[in-house]
Amino acid sequence: MSLTDDVARLRQEAFDEIGRADSPERLNQIQIKYLGRKGAVTAVLKGLKDLALDERKKVGAAANRVRAELEEQIKETLGKLSVAAAGDAFDYTLPGTAPRLGAIHIVNQVIDEACLIFQRMGFAIERGPDIETDYYNFEALNFPPDHPARDMQDTMFVEGNGVLRTHTTPVQARVLETQKPPIKAITPGLCFRNEAISTRSHVAFHQVDGFLVDEGVTMGDLKGALVAFCKAFFGEKVAIRFRPSFFPFTEPSAEVDVSCFLCDGKGCQVCKQTGWLEILGCGMIHPAVLEKAGHDPEKYTGYAFGIGMERPAMLKYRINDIRLFFNNDVRFLKQFC
Amino acid sequence: MISYKWLKELTGLDWSPQEMAERLTLCGTACEYIDKADRYMDRVVVGKVTALKPVEGAAKIQLATVDLGGDGMDVICGAPNVAVGQKVPVALEGAKLAGDMVIKKVKIRGVESAAMICSERELGISDDHSGIMVLEADAVLGTPLAEQLQYDDYILTFELTPNRGDSMSAIGVARDLAALGGTEVRRPSFELKEVSAKASDSIKVSIDDPEGCPRYAARLIRNVKIGPSPWWLKRKLLTSGVRPISNVVDITNLVMLETGHPLHAFDLDRFGSREVVVRRAADGEEFVTLDGERHELVPDVLLITNGKVGVAAGGIMGGLDSEIEDTTTDILLEAAYFDPAVIRKGRKHLGLVTESSSRFERGADPNGIPYAIDRAAHLMQELCGGEVLKGIVDCYPGAIEPKEITLRPSRCNSVLGTSIAVSRMKEILQGLEFTVTGDDPMKVTVPTFRPDIEREIDLIEEVARIEGYDNIPDAVANIGPLYTPLGRLDRFKADARHILTGSGFDEIVNHGLVHQNQSSLVNPGQPQVKLTNPASEELNTMRNSLVTTTLNVISHNLAHRNLDLCLFELGKVYFPGGGPGQWVEKERLVLAVTGHSPHTWRSRPRPYDFYDVSGAVDHLARHFNWSGLTYRPHRFSAFEGDLSFQMTVDNIEMGFLGKVSAKISEAFEIKQPVYLAEVELEPLLAAEEVRKEYRPLPVYPAAPRDLALVVDQSVKAGDLVEVVKESAGDLAESVEIFDLYTGKQIDKGKKSIAISINYRSDEGSLSSEQVDQMQKALVSRLKKNFNAQIRDK
Ligand SMILES: [Zn+2]
Repeated sequence: MSLTDDVARLRQEAFDEIGRADSPERLNQIQIKYLGRKGAVTAVLKGLKDLALDERKKVGAAANRVRAELEEQIKETLGKLSVAAAGDAFDYTLPGTAPRLGAIHIVNQVIDEACLIFQRMGFAIERGPDIETDYYNFEALNFPPDHPARDMQDTMFVEGNGVLRTHTTPVQARVLETQKPPIKAITPGLCFRNEAISTRSHVAFHQVDGFLVDEGVTMGDLKGALVAFCKAFFGEKVAIRFRPSFFPFTEPSAEVDVSCFLCDGKGCQVCKQTGWLEILGCGMIHPAVLEKAGHDPEKYTGYAFGIGMERPAMLKYRINDIRLFFNNDVRFLKQFC
Repeated sequence: MISYKWLKELTGLDWSPQEMAERLTLCGTACEYIDKADRYMDRVVVGKVTALKPVEGAAKIQLATVDLGGDGMDVICGAPNVAVGQKVPVALEGAKLAGDMVIKKVKIRGVESAAMICSERELGISDDHSGIMVLEADAVLGTPLAEQLQYDDYILTFELTPNRGDSMSAIGVARDLAALGGTEVRRPSFELKEVSAKASDSIKVSIDDPEGCPRYAARLIRNVKIGPSPWWLKRKLLTSGVRPISNVVDITNLVMLETGHPLHAFDLDRFGSREVVVRRAADGEEFVTLDGERHELVPDVLLITNGKVGVAAGGIMGGLDSEIEDTTTDILLEAAYFDPAVIRKGRKHLGLVTESSSRFERGADPNGIPYAIDRAAHLMQELCGGEVLKGIVDCYPGAIEPKEITLRPSRCNSVLGTSIAVSRMKEILQGLEFTVTGDDPMKVTVPTFRPDIEREIDLIEEVARIEGYDNIPDAVANIGPLYTPLGRLDRFKADARHILTGSGFDEIVNHGLVHQNQSSLVNPGQPQVKLTNPASEELNTMRNSLVTTTLNVISHNLAHRNLDLCLFELGKVYFPGGGPGQWVEKERLVLAVTGHSPHTWRSRPRPYDFYDVSGAVDHLARHFNWSGLTYRPHRFSAFEGDLSFQMTVDNIEMGFLGKVSAKISEAFEIKQPVYLAEVELEPLLAAEEVRKEYRPLPVYPAAPRDLALVVDQSVKAGDLVEVVKESAGDLAESVEIFDLYTGKQIDKGKKSIAISINYRSDEGSLSSEQVDQMQKALVSRLKKNFNAQIRDK
């Protein structure tokens, strides 16, 4: 190893140590170690006289440069350490210096939370197109043509007879066509409705639907799974009730209410004094839906559910205007870092 | 809306309003509100207007003297219809009326008044505010109004599901209640007395379209006297949200509210003939509905005609020309059954939703017609003095029979996960007025008022909802597959979200609907997916680039003075597909920066630029093992010409990066530079996944060397690094650019680039001679390839 290599290594070591110095005292020690009377760099300079002329020149230049660099670096570091770090003067109230943290969009945080709960129960995640056909959005799901049930979902269409899906249940219809039971999946995604944009409604929203088809699936299984979900998602304390409802693709159908966690079920403005919050729709998959997908409803039964995610997000985080989600104002987004 | 008293009358159940609402909600008829019917009648009493005198200087108000049955008082009244002799509701001081109105002492033009004569709206009776409410002549002075009007009642408001047409009637709701309470519905019974003249001698009915109108029944009632209905009838209508009009019309409405079957009364003299013909409207045929609107019809509309012209849009609304008037004496009473789908199409064409159409659309009861028409005829006889002609003229070419469905109790329990006894199932179904024979299986005859019951599963739901969903035990075990791996797209998205937010980027979420001009501007010449019925014209096209929505978000934020932005979105773009009914959706990632980096006590702000975006892409590349990420100049119309690049990874074109062009920025009202990258995910996710693999930690020391080069400005740092790597081969463990300098000490047109190279071998310590030799070879290559000068400090 040549002397210039030694100097380069000394430089590297010294810089490393300076970088790791946590007090002016430590810096002082480093200064002595390298630049003091018996310091390592000083030693190199002292040894120059024993060298051949051109070697002396080369090593001398390198060592002098390193000495200058180290002196500068120590001075600069000392300045910073004395402002922020030294003894009584140490100002622990100065903000930390990690890079700025971005925020995952709150609606995706809530969707992820819901999906994770279902994933832990063994549900796969399936996805489908946002632009659907009438068949998958309605017909395969047992919406007869010209039935009032179609009015439950004001629909937007695209050129070429496309339907902007009004729910993510069409993914269920698609999966049922291509897979064999047992099938257990959730279908998160964007949905659209032809509605005026206001504080309470929007042209688009996110849904997490899910379903299970197997032999011997009962409504008790549906209830058990959704009770588990609601407790995981809304908290162990909430009460859950199932009440009969109507969806063309499930029979029996139910709405699931959870006890209002804003007023502990005592009644408040948000729950319209009922003590309950309507959270999701569900039911046993209608035999006609299974038949259309080529499954024998005598052999297989299944359940399905669907949750619009903006509403629980609004309830959980007390967000009072649904438009905030799609405005993407960073002052809003950053509240959920 | 149904009154609590009415439901009590029909069931005999003594449940409280709250209990009734709760039990109905839990059996599928969701009760949204329970309102006290007399909630705005506290401190309101019956009074009589005994005198009226003008108030000086106020043309629109008068001073009314009211007698409250002992006390008299003066009340200021501005209603146009106030008259001496009227009995009126008088709200006394302290009364709290609808619309948060509290009665206080007031002084107007020197006149003091401590009460108010109320309109129906102020009392919460209806939304009529055209004048004060005038009470029946026999109202007792001084009586509390709620007592006088028999308004000690509750109004239940239901949210109905579209399958249960039968729930749109008092009897229908009472039927569920009766099944829940183990009792029976007490339908009003009556004895209809007909005169000997036969209706069929005076009217003929024929149906041209028996599919659209399977049944049409008519009765004739003569010599009715049109007038106001008695209060009990008005009260039932008002508490159901229906405005009383006149006795005949009110009776048809009452029977509709009671039985769910819409009826229509024509003025026989103005009917225009003595025959009813039901047919489809001709294309372009004109018809004026009784709301005065002129419609141009299409064959989707079923038209009730007098043989020549239309007299009613069947099942939707009557015609203006045959409407009941004050002078009407003879009535043609219609009770028909229309096909739900036909009504739906027809009312969509007319743009009307009526009490009648919403019932027919959900399914009325074709076999409930005789009861409904007789009930109405009987009331017209009782309340209007009418003579009912003998017989119903009933055209019912193909009778609609009740369905018979088999229910297997074992199937019921296996679907529900219950063990409900066969006898209980039977009891429930019979409670709902289904006829049941046999036990296992049972044969269930479904009355025609329940068209929603089509197959076994529907009966299972009936059992479940009356038994109560609460009585279905919740399973405690997890069933089905216990584990399914996450797909690659979902794994990518989850990781990318955390990496990018960790790098300081905020995630945005868009719905992807934009205006077509925005799309054309950002992505000119690219095909678009257009909406045929957008909710708003501003949102008439689906984005074909994430850039469009990102610029909208940036524009919104800048407008709110959020000037420093690092944003990303994971979303879809949409294109028309190869053929009709086909679309292409692509998953993409967009990254965008604008403004300045944070100003902290340790760092000065600097403008965000190209490298802030490419740096984030580097983070992703590193995590996802995208090797060989390169940028090459490529003209994209959205970007400034000299700051527009294509990104490739192992020759996969993964997207583009650049500075948004001035023209586009201006169009989005963005006045500061925006740097942006859009990444196509599919090719990246389709490529083979490179797994991370452990490499043994080095055992021999490294030999670090720095190299400062002066080269032409046009020389690319990446090219220098390539040559260094090539030259040193495997022995260059890392090659980093650590300084870049132009200025005083460097010639014009040149720049200084400093590179640090860490040499290391995994076969042994490198001697300084070896490293010197490599450096020498490297330097000569750099001199040759780039005309580089080595800079000595
Ligand atoms: Zn509440």
